[in-house]
Amino acid sequence: MSEQTLGAASAQTGLLPEMTSRHTAQARINKHKADWRGWKFMWPFALVFVFVFIIPIVYAIFISFFKKQMIGGTKFVGFENYSRLFVDQQFWSSVWRVALFTIVQVPIMLFLAAAMALALDSMKLHGTKFFRISTFLPYAVPAVVSTMIWGFVYGAKYGLVGSFNDFFGTNLDVLAPDVLLAAIGNINTWEFTGYNMLIFYSSLSTIPHSLYEAASIDGASEWQIVKRIKLPELRGSLAITVIFSIIGSFQLFNEPSILQNMVPGNAITTYYTPNMYAYNLSFSGNQSNYAAALAITMAVITMAIAYAVQLRSMKEQMK
Amino acid sequence: MRNIKKVIAATAAVATLVGLAACGGGSDNSSNQGDADNAELVFWGWDSGNSMKDIIKGFEKANPGITVKFNNTGTAEKTSTALSNAIAAGNGAPDVVMLEDPTVTQFAVTDGLVDLSEFGADKLADDFAAGPWNKLQYNNKPYALPIDSGPEMFFYNKAVFDKAGVDGESIKTWDDYYEAAKKIRATGSYITNLAGTSNDYQPFTAQVWQAGAQPWKVDGENITINMTKDAGMKKYIQFVQKLIDEDLVDTKTPNWSDDWNRELNDGTIASLTIGAWMPVNLMSGAPDQAGNWRVAQLPQWEEGQEVSAEDGGSALSVVKLSKNQAAAYKFVEYMTHGDGAQEMADTGTFPSLKKILQSDSFTDPTTEGNKKTNDYFGGQNVNEVLSEAAQRPTEKFQYLPYNPFAQSAYGDEVSKAYTKEITLEQALKNYGDKLAKQGEDQGYTVTVK
Repeated sequence: MSEQTLGAASAQTGLLPEMTSRHTAQARINKHKADWRGWKFMWPFALVFVFVFIIPIVYAIFISFFKKQMIGGTKFVGFENYSRLFVDQQFWSSVWRVALFTIVQVPIMLFLAAAMALALDSMKLHGTKFFRISTFLPYAVPAVVSTMIWGFVYGAKYGLVGSFNDFFGTNLDVLAPDVLLAAIGNINTWEFTGYNMLIFYSSLSTIPHSLYEAASIDGASEWQIVKRIKLPELRGSLAITVIFSIIGSFQLFNEPSILQNMVPGNAITTYYTPNMYAYNLSFSGNQSNYAAALAITMAVITMAIAYAVQLRSMKEQMK
Repeated sequence: MRNIKKVIAATAAVATLVGLAACGGGSDNSSNQGDADNAELVFWGWDSGNSMKDIIKGFEKANPGITVKFNNTGTAEKTSTALSNAIAAGNGAPDVVMLEDPTVTQFAVTDGLVDLSEFGADKLADDFAAGPWNKLQYNNKPYALPIDSGPEMFFYNKAVFDKAGVDGESIKTWDDYYEAAKKIRATGSYITNLAGTSNDYQPFTAQVWQAGAQPWKVDGENITINMTKDAGMKKYIQFVQKLIDEDLVDTKTPNWSDDWNRELNDGTIASLTIGAWMPVNLMSGAPDQAGNWRVAQLPQWEEGQEVSAEDGGSALSVVKLSKNQAAAYKFVEYMTHGDGAQEMADTGTFPSLKKILQSDSFTDPTTEGNKKTNDYFGGQNVNEVLSEAAQRPTEKFQYLPYNPFAQSAYGDEVSKAYTKEITLEQALKNYGDKLAKQGEDQGYTVTVK
């Protein structure tokens, strides 16, 4: 999740230059003075940011132009790694897989999250606090642990699915290769719905109550309040959650890696997702340079998609 | 435009520096023997017997000038990853490192380890069991000394075998095994599981090794891959394909999965061909079957043969970056060939030293450790069987210098034969092509037959 937050942070800073250009002349004069004073507060963060974020990225870009061989050592190869990646079927199969995952899983998860947030905000539920915490709780469980739990649930021989099969005489196998991606999607939905629900819920709770009062005095029904007041308010946080979720699904790694040894056969290959492919290339394939090129390419693809989403949502807000 | 030129110039400059540094790292290692009696050694490894501290204490007592700092690196995979990072960085590497046998070649090829014949290790060849010793040679020089060994054994569940009317002791050849598989399948159990995942790679190499196959041959910078036309491989492919086609093996359960342990525990999987280190795993993974399991020699490809093969095993090496290589070797010798080896064996390591394998105490059924194991195996003298296997002759077998890749790619390609998407022959052919491509990427000249 930390990468996601950082990714989102940098996506948001993309907005800043335009905002500052709209500042008044007064601000522009003061700007010079404020600059160094600001840095005094900034440097602890900036230092860490440079070391753990900027330098590794620059280093990854740098090594992606080389090739290290067991025989022949390291040599500069220019864009060879990138051109190889372009025709690497294993890579593209992994990209399409996470793309499909994103297109299906993200809307389902966000719809559920929004529905839960609206239900919580309706103030017509008992035990709101309990409901809020229990839906958020899966997010606090480490992904490794929750994947193991789900892996045991899914087991067609000894898991909950197995017991279900025994009891009803069915022959379900949710870990079969053609439904495996959906099974992973279900784990992710369970993990992150509560998190997204909280974002939606917090933006709903910023709506002043006077608005609702005014609406009900005007004779608006509950459904009209949802449609006219609450849903428009959710639009801003929707952009954020969509971007988070896209970045998160493109970085899918933990769930398939843990499930790898729990799934019958070898349905989860070493190139099941781009991140798994990069990991295996560098740690078992001795090809860290090629893996770096892959990582950079994935970052560019993810950024492009996140930027497109942001642009679209900004346009809508301008309307 | 000017900026782009600057960036290119800077990149080129940095690249040159990196290149120079790499050269500098590689050339000045020949005279790093150091003082053999005075040194502070750093040792990376894992500690499965939980006894490393005591063994090191014993070494330090015998060699007062040398101190050893043990860093528990957890697993074999983490250790080799950390070692390759340290070698790439040119510093931070340990003096002595514990490696899984198949990864030793990789580090020997890339010049990360010291040729131990410099210290006379080549003269110890006859003291070790042939299997583990053979795996640690590169260009006919030892690059590590074995701590343990893992002769491939045939473990079977006597209760299930009895139910099917099969006498485990009478299984001498793989043909006998096939006949037994059919009878066991008729009772609802499987003779074993084969899923073709990356965890099955080691048993795979052991089985083809025993068949005398050479799926790959490494000769310096040349690699020959012969996955499907080698006589031994043909024998293996034909045999396993038969087991898959006739549904005689459980193809859905990968080794070391949760399901695997459960099926061993409830008798669904009736036997395993796996390394001699398995008893302790069976005892913890299949506690309900206590008293039922037995161990026997591996079935043979030809009647009357006594060929063994190795599955797993680890070894100690001296790292080339070490400045105390002479003292480091002393420690390696102590651990594998000296008093340390006995202590390791006493705390559960399966020995590779013939002296220990042949000793009375190793097969003595009255010692506490042996008694516990023998009880689980229905009173059988387990170590006697294992010790015999360890001393059987093995063919020479070599791992690829990029063994970790060979292991992960095995799962990707070969599993397709077990899900019946393609034939085993086709799957192994694809696997061979993938290994060839990786070899070429790593700068080798590869011939595919």
